[in-house]
Amino acid sequence: MAEVTFTLPDLGEGLVEASVLEWLVAPGDTVERNAPLVELETAKSAVEIPSPHAGTVARVHAEEGAVVAVGAPLVTFEVADAPGIVGTVPRAEKPTRRVRLTPPKE
Amino acid sequence: MTELSVDERHAAGTVELTMQQAVNRALRTALAEDPAVLLFGEDVGRLGGVFRVTDGLQAEFGADRVFDTPLAESAIVGMAVGLAMNGFRPVPELQFDGFAYPAVDQIVNQMARMHYRSRGTAPMPITLRLPSFGGIQAPEHHGESLEALFAHVPGLKVVAPADPADAYRLLLQSVRADDPVVFMEPKARYWDRGPVPVGADASGMDPIGTSRVVRPGRHATLVAWGAMVHRCLEVAELAAEDGVDLEVLDLRWLKPIDADGLAASVARTRRAVVVHEAPLTAGLGAEVAALITERAFRDLAAPVQRVTGFDVPYPAGPLEPQYLPTIDRVLFAVQRTLEF
Repeated sequence: MAEVTFTLPDLGEGLVEASVLEWLVAPGDTVERNAPLVELETAKSAVEIPSPHAGTVARVHAEEGAVVAVGAPLVTFEVADAPGIVGTVPRAEKPTRRVRLTPPKE
Repeated sequence: MTELSVDERHAAGTVELTMQQAVNRALRTALAEDPAVLLFGEDVGRLGGVFRVTDGLQAEFGADRVFDTPLAESAIVGMAVGLAMNGFRPVPELQFDGFAYPAVDQIVNQMARMHYRSRGTAPMPITLRLPSFGGIQAPEHHGESLEALFAHVPGLKVVAPADPADAYRLLLQSVRADDPVVFMEPKARYWDRGPVPVGADASGMDPIGTSRVVRPGRHATLVAWGAMVHRCLEVAELAAEDGVDLEVLDLRWLKPIDADGLAASVARTRRAVVVHEAPLTAGLGAEVAALITERAFRDLAAPVQRVTGFDVPYPAGPLEPQYLPTIDRVLFAVQRTLEF
């Protein structure tokens, strides 16, 4: 398992911060990618942020009502180890087979 | 000239290394013994290579001798050709086999031909390091078997080590050679650990173009190179349970191919199965089968069999193990030669 931390994304329109209205997940919850994660309020509007990862919520970094700057940590997930972008280290496995051989007549 | 580090001068002996570390060690020795040796490629310098094969070498030998290049394989090989014409001994790295395609013009039209074109006045002592073959379930372009393509090009030498000790020896031999060598490192075996004779103990090298018998046997010869040597050793272990004694011949050099070594092995075993990852059609298995047939026809008890990848691109990810020659496919081919 690996941990990944999701930081407050740039919400556009020149906004530099947002406040947490309501967490839609809690530490220990299993979340799917794109599932509702948190509701934030900006100077413009309230927005629901979807989860960028599938995994388990390890911890949240801001209480409800707290103000979070763009780029600051929002939530940390535990996610399954994914294959690296250029492949995986082969595992040593015990060789198995189905085909049996018949020795040649000498 | 860079002073040889203490352990390079004195550590003639055997050390346990992974293949990554063995290649690193050979590169370090090459850099230390010849100031004309240069290492370069994408992420070769600061990062130490995508497989960490050049780790620590820029810090030790400086950014003038171990350096990063733009993401342009044609430029990497083209630069190696120019450097070689000016007295250097370049050891460029292309990160993955599939990235060699954009450099094919430089490899085929320049690197392989310059010595010939210049009537011998511009040798090309280039060792093109190419992490090769499949087995790590990588995405597309990150697993290819280009040995037949390069072996077909006049002027190139092609070699693929199978274990850490051979990676060390063959790489030093390639760097010291005055001809261009395509050095295909089997990335699936990079993490294998084994005893590596280094320093003075590596001096007794077989000549270029020599194969080796990694397991002697008497009923059939499995011919392989790179990561498939490991696969064939697994097969030979299992065959022994059935009372079938398989010889495993590691071809090592894919150009020039050790025809005498092939013939000598088949003279003992009378049967041969060639195993390679590359697709079947026009693969090197055909070349090996032809050489055995030419040299040892009367010794053969059965036609030479080929167990290869299929005539499709390497599949990405979890399908790859179905593409690569499986233990059962090799055993089945062995049985065909035993029953013939």
